[in-house]
Amino acid sequence: MSTQPEIPEEDHLLATEYALRLLTKDEEAAFEARMLDDRDLEALVAEAVNQFAPLSDEIAEERPSPAVKTALLADLFGEADTPTSIWDRIGLWRATSFAATAAAVVMAVMLVTQQAPAPLPPASERGALFVSEIAAEDNSLRVLAVYDAATGGLQINRTAGAPAPDRALELWAIAGDNAPVSLGLLPADAKGQLSLPEALRADVGGLVLAISDEPTGGSPTGAPTGAVLAVGQVTDI
Amino acid sequence: MTTTSDIEHMISRVALGDRTAFSNLYDATSAKLLGVALRVLNNRASAEDVLQETFMKVWRYADRYSRNGMSPMTWLITIARNTAIDRLRATKDESDVADVMDTMPSSGPTPEQSAIASSEAGRIMGCMEQLDDDKRDAVRGAYLDGLSYADLAARFDVPLNTMRTWLRRSLISLRECMSQ
Repeated sequence: MSTQPEIPEEDHLLATEYALRLLTKDEEAAFEARMLDDRDLEALVAEAVNQFAPLSDEIAEERPSPAVKTALLADLFGEADTPTSIWDRIGLWRATSFAATAAAVVMAVMLVTQQAPAPLPPASERGALFVSEIAAEDNSLRVLAVYDAATGGLQINRTAGAPAPDRALELWAIAGDNAPVSLGLLPADAKGQLSLPEALRADVGGLVLAISDEPTGGSPTGAPTGAVLAVGQVTDI
Repeated sequence: MTTTSDIEHMISRVALGDRTAFSNLYDATSAKLLGVALRVLNNRASAEDVLQETFMKVWRYADRYSRNGMSPMTWLITIARNTAIDRLRATKDESDVADVMDTMPSSGPTPEQSAIASSEAGRIMGCMEQLDDDKRDAVRGAYLDGLSYADLAARFDVPLNTMRTWLRRSLISLRECMSQ
């Protein structure tokens, strides 16, 4: 096992406590906020998850009643236009395939509890919040977008990746099978603010956000012209 | 017998939107995942709800699973466990913490011990053996039953900070033992 001396013991412990779910909701949120900016922490969580995983060997299997599978399949596939994997949905524009890495898995594992990073306005001063983690499959680009229904503002926090030299990153919103709508270029700084067009605000919870590689100044055509680098589903929090 | 690489293959097919693979993945893994959820929730109806939610997440996020040393079963179990714990804590927010003590399942290995005897598995089992009985119970309660520090403090009837200090020492011992 690799014990890296530069990692404080406290972080090892916190990662283990987080993986075991010993912490309170607030402590979990604080750790998740740190994890967004610190890939080492993700690796520590993965390590802890792996270490304790054998404990589940002793858990006896329990056959679920057949109704569970029926309900599951009806929920997922009952309607003809059920969205499939979001990468699949935007497959038309995918120009490149990506190798996935360890970090993506951990975020995928833990995203069941993931929350938006601080700071957010107090609940009393804001509307419903929606969050989308727009990530490349290999996490080489990762942007957290938080939408505040009260203001229509989209708070952007780029936690990994950057535009290629002389290129720009453009953010798109996709509603159902409609063509992507540009939300503008990602700010040059890691953090910034964009706004969601009025027409998209009603069904924000069903949007997919995507980031494409574009010429400086943005797509000249109004549709993505470069590779779609990252996608994320919008969910309410 | 479904192998690890079978499950890995199914997940990669699910990531491409393959419904047959999804159905096969469910058939191969749902019994284990229901066991995991049931262990945390101790209520079959809630556990079956969690199982359904777990597979909805799997359908949605399968494209984010990749081979990285985390076995596909570990990934699936972690999602089921976290979903069950989220459910447990959402419902428990309104109920008495003392209820936790009543819902503690009896501990101890079941007859259905997995045949998997990887060196990693052997290592944590061996290291767990070196802990005192009550500390081992606390770690097992955290992992298997999804108990938080607050739950454990109530169960062992000690102040929260005492519980945390006490369990942190055990976690440090475990980590030292496993790195040997």
